[in-house]
Amino acid sequence: MATTPPTPAPATLAAWLRTRSDEQLGALLVLRPDVARPAPSDVVGLATRLAVPVSVDRALDELDAGTLQVLDVVLLATTDGVSRADLAAALPGAPVEAAVELLTDRALLWGDDVLHAPEPVRRAVKHPAGLGRLRTPPPADVEGDLATADDDERAVLETLARENPVGRLPVDNRGTAPAGPARRLLQRGLLTRIDAANVELPRQYGLALRGDQPYGPVRTRPEPPTAQRDPAVLDRRAAGAALEAVGRVGELLTALEEDPAGLLRSGGMSIRDQKRLAKALGVDESVAAFVVEVAHAAGLLDLGGPHRDEWLPSRGYDTWREQPLPERWAQLAAAWLDSVRLIALVGQRDQAGKAVNVLSPDAVRHTVPAVRRVLLEALRGLPAGHGLATDDLLALLRWQSPRRADRFVLVPDLLAEAETLGLVVGGALSSGGRGLLAGGEEGAADAVRGLLPEPVDHVLAQPDLSLIAPGPLVAELARTLATVADVESSGGATVFRVSDGSVRRALDAGWSAAELHDFFARASRTPVPQALDYLVDDVARQHGRLRVGAIESYVRSDDHGLLSQVLSDKRSAPAELRRLAPGVLVSGLPADEVLAVLRTAGYAPAGESSGGAVLTRPPGRPRATARPGTRPPTGPRPLVAEEVEATVREIRAGDSALAARREDAARHVPGVTTASTLELLGRAVREQRQVWLGYVDAQGSGSRRAVQPLTLGGGFLTGYDEGKAEQRVFAVHRITSVDLVDDDARPE
Amino acid sequence: MSDGPLIVQSDKTLLLEVDHPQSKECRAAIAPFAELERSPEHVHTYRVTPLALWNARAAGHDAEQVVDALVRYSRYPVPHALLVDVADTMDRFGRLTLANNPVHGLVLTTTDRAVLTEVSRSKKVAPMLGARIDDDTIAVHPSERGRLKQALLKVGWPAEDLAGYVDGQAHPIELDQADWHLRDYQQEAVDGFWAGGSGVVVLPCGAGKTLVGAAAMAEAKATTLILVTNTVAGRQWKRELIARTSLTEDEIGEYSGERKEIRPVTIATYQVITTRRKGEYRHLDLFDAQDWGLIVYDEVHLLPAPIFRLTADLQSRRRLGLTATLVREDGREDDVFSLIGPKRYDAPWRDIEAQGYIAPAECIEVRVSLDDEERMTYAVAEPEERYRIAATAHSKLPVIRRVLDRHPEEQKLVIGAYLDQLEELGAALDAPVIQGSTTNREREKLFDAFRAGEIKTLVVSKVANFSIDLPEAAVAVQVSGTFGSRQEEAQRLGRVLRPKADGRQAHFYTVVSRDTLDSEYAAHRQRFLAEQGYAYTIVDAADLAGRGEVNGPDWVDEPSD
Repeated sequence: MATTPPTPAPATLAAWLRTRSDEQLGALLVLRPDVARPAPSDVVGLATRLAVPVSVDRALDELDAGTLQVLDVVLLATTDGVSRADLAAALPGAPVEAAVELLTDRALLWGDDVLHAPEPVRRAVKHPAGLGRLRTPPPADVEGDLATADDDERAVLETLARENPVGRLPVDNRGTAPAGPARRLLQRGLLTRIDAANVELPRQYGLALRGDQPYGPVRTRPEPPTAQRDPAVLDRRAAGAALEAVGRVGELLTALEEDPAGLLRSGGMSIRDQKRLAKALGVDESVAAFVVEVAHAAGLLDLGGPHRDEWLPSRGYDTWREQPLPERWAQLAAAWLDSVRLIALVGQRDQAGKAVNVLSPDAVRHTVPAVRRVLLEALRGLPAGHGLATDDLLALLRWQSPRRADRFVLVPDLLAEAETLGLVVGGALSSGGRGLLAGGEEGAADAVRGLLPEPVDHVLAQPDLSLIAPGPLVAELARTLATVADVESSGGATVFRVSDGSVRRALDAGWSAAELHDFFARASRTPVPQALDYLVDDVARQHGRLRVGAIESYVRSDDHGLLSQVLSDKRSAPAELRRLAPGVLVSGLPADEVLAVLRTAGYAPAGESSGGAVLTRPPGRPRATARPGTRPPTGPRPLVAEEVEATVREIRAGDSALAARREDAARHVPGVTTASTLELLGRAVREQRQVWLGYVDAQGSGSRRAVQPLTLGGGFLTGYDEGKAEQRVFAVHRITSVDLVDDDARPE
Repeated sequence: MSDGPLIVQSDKTLLLEVDHPQSKECRAAIAPFAELERSPEHVHTYRVTPLALWNARAAGHDAEQVVDALVRYSRYPVPHALLVDVADTMDRFGRLTLANNPVHGLVLTTTDRAVLTEVSRSKKVAPMLGARIDDDTIAVHPSERGRLKQALLKVGWPAEDLAGYVDGQAHPIELDQADWHLRDYQQEAVDGFWAGGSGVVVLPCGAGKTLVGAAAMAEAKATTLILVTNTVAGRQWKRELIARTSLTEDEIGEYSGERKEIRPVTIATYQVITTRRKGEYRHLDLFDAQDWGLIVYDEVHLLPAPIFRLTADLQSRRRLGLTATLVREDGREDDVFSLIGPKRYDAPWRDIEAQGYIAPAECIEVRVSLDDEERMTYAVAEPEERYRIAATAHSKLPVIRRVLDRHPEEQKLVIGAYLDQLEELGAALDAPVIQGSTTNREREKLFDAFRAGEIKTLVVSKVANFSIDLPEAAVAVQVSGTFGSRQEEAQRLGRVLRPKADGRQAHFYTVVSRDTLDSEYAAHRQRFLAEQGYAYTIVDAADLAGRGEVNGPDWVDEPSD
């Protein structure tokens, strides 16, 4: 596939990279996006970048156990480089060719016929094939040494020869080290010490113990048995869960609208609020925590209130609840998928023994979205309707990315969350889940359309004063009912109850008795029970006997004649006074204005202290001020095709120019920070000269900005950003280029 | 999207749309595992509780049937989690079994060792367990049988009791069905009970629970102890048993405050059994006085706590509980389940009513406006006095009279809670008053006269709430009550629900004072009645039409407002 004609095999990784086609280089950038940002200037730069340990680890982490085993064979080879044929022979029956493709595409192996492992890859794999390091000096008689082991010792050796060559020495509870097989082995040199507590089985012995399978059993993809169910049934159950999830989020936000939860000093929501919400929702606290977290991730719940210290429904909620069910659900599901919060941590105790609160910043784990996606993708690989038991799924995931196996402890929790949302049912991915993975939020909504019930526009009124909405309600009716009745039970249907309290609330909200009668008659498909009409009339009769209003100021006097005079005086008209009771005039204007008007009119009013005067305004519905549609940060954005093309072009161009042009390296510092970059920056700080900085931020977006450097140290540059007009800190390793402004009046 | 009659709610209530064509079959499918909670006109509410699921399991239903019924009739997708939860809960019943081992006697055995280990480590359960016989079996002392079942239910692993019963001392009892026959549902109830061994039969007031008891005795053919709420109810039982079975007067004993007879069939009151002197129960010997083959608990929902404790010791005897409702105001439904037994039969009121065995009842709330003086008195009254003042307002009297005048031919009961008011009403209406201090002899005399139709109107206090049979009372007028208790409502309604000879409609009036606590309590009762599915009408006293007037009872059934 190389574009160059067959020539002597390339001798270095950079030389081999040069032989790769543009497509292959592009593919490499896509597979290892961290090396593409910032763009390397040429192939040597690319090769250097590929050698960065973090990058190598990241690339290895994505490989499955079978592929890693092929890599292990190369790493364990005594020669430098292994031919494809030898590889295939070493692992009979394994799909070696495919694995080699995967490895070379990622430049974890290089070479065309003979495959080489770059040195950083060797360093990154600590125990190739689960074997320990070579013992130096090498044992003289491996078989002879092993033959000395008694049964106990043999058992220890075989355990260490299996998967993990490192073991921990047993320590009893007094802290002393009892003599045991491991210690005896250590004394005889069959084990080597790593540190005070850990020992390792040297590679020589490990290989001998493994016999004719030096690389362990061939690691083929596990094919666990799947449970098959009718996809239609499965989807109905998923839809049930989806419906419930949407309903609960709605209920939660209604509850918070009535009574917001407070923000803890440490961030998050208090346990008391969590308990209260759990009670309001009729679920246990962990479910309540999940609902709160999902609502927050979907941007429906945020901080608001006058002091930004209350958890409130956001404006996004107002938009959300107007949408059809499938869209509402999809928004929740998509937000959950991308959320960096590990909800299962809520309620657990951290290392300091402190419980993690709902919405607490302590629950952020940046790996979580990846694990969620990996697990759903694994299920997506099964045919529709097929599901995996959790243990089998775990085994499959461990095979898929063995180097990340420790992350998969999250899987059972995340799987349970996915079930709660209706993405997964009994270990099988639902249509909604498939839609979400394939088409994001829109795809998810489309996939469940038709599965979720159509909204109904009526209720059934019953003589016991309950109103039953036999399905999800159209938004307008739901809003009205929330005012005139209380929710008693929710789920597929909603049971509302009309009580004197709820009728009074409706009257307070400006409804008249006639409007309520009319509303019930219109909304109910069954005849409105007599008792309901009586209830409305009974409450309406009592309503409004006491009146409460708000005024800004009052004028009072014992001289009623004087007050009448003020009231009829044209000059005092701007004070907007009216008589509330004999001896008291009130105004909607503030006291100082009224005072001024009266003084101008020739009266001699005196201000009165505010003791007892209440200044109130009817409260509006509180809302968080969060940006509509914004969500908490999710991972870095992926590379788009144009970016990849441009980067490859750049590398090629830089490469061809490399040989020709070698001057002025400092003016365009390639991504890897060099001494000259630092020198240039250091000079700029000393001489207080402005520089043009090429900079890539944490999200991978590049920018070019004029900066007045202030200090340089510890890998960071502090400077005044002219464009942003603020002081900022720049990580030196993200600086892609430095130009002194004076050298060059304008950027290139 | 299917279009079933059932909607499953996330709090495990089930809403059944009654007018749906499939509602009947759906009701039959869910009845075994869901308790009917409310049955108003259009949508009935059932609740799936662990106890209900275990009742179903005890009756031989399995989780698959339950899940299938939910999925089949549900209009909307049922959340998977709920189905899993239902299956898990049902699965918990029967993992543990109490059985008789030929060698070791009573033992607790399991099909799941982990469960046996779990419960044997539980602090609540462990003290009641004996020696471990093998991995799956633990010996249990027979005296702990009841308490063990209670404790196991509390830890969520209810045991199935298959340890059987002693036969008790045989005594011939036959049903004497010469001029009557056991109704189908009564026969089903007896069969269900007998097949299950012990348990509770749920039948509405007036549906003939006494006969179910009698038939169960005829099945057992053994000495029987019958526990009833009070003496009058006891005599009622005695009368029924003499009339409907081969038992004679001499074979039936009364064990009450007045008499202490122990005969092959003995009827005892709750009160006498729970009487204590110097902190000790005086009449516990009764339970050992005979080798009882059957114990019948009338009105299980009222069973006092001490009797539960005694019942825990009677687990080797067959127990039959009779009740109109499993709902206990004290929430001890689980003790009924573990100590008396699971529900063996249940028929909803409305169905039995539709079969014509209970008179259909019409409930009417009559609202009376207080006069200004009464309003003033009410307004300034102490909070604890307010209800009494509202309920006993004199303005009610002319209205009560007017209500009674609407039904000159019927047998009428006026029910109240305040003695002053009752005396006053008795005098004003010229009707005899029965209250707490009325002697049993006097009560019997008045009831007989009422039954015979010699007295048309009786004024009764709450002593009449329980278990006196007044078959011909077709009109009840409630003038005051005890704070709107559900229990009281069911009992009072029961007074007029007894089958009427000619299938006439029964009338249940409540006279309340408008805009007072009285009408607030009335709202509670109204809700209860509406939930039971009764038509409930509110009428202003001023609009109450008299007999023969427009809208009066002779013209249409329901007065309009």
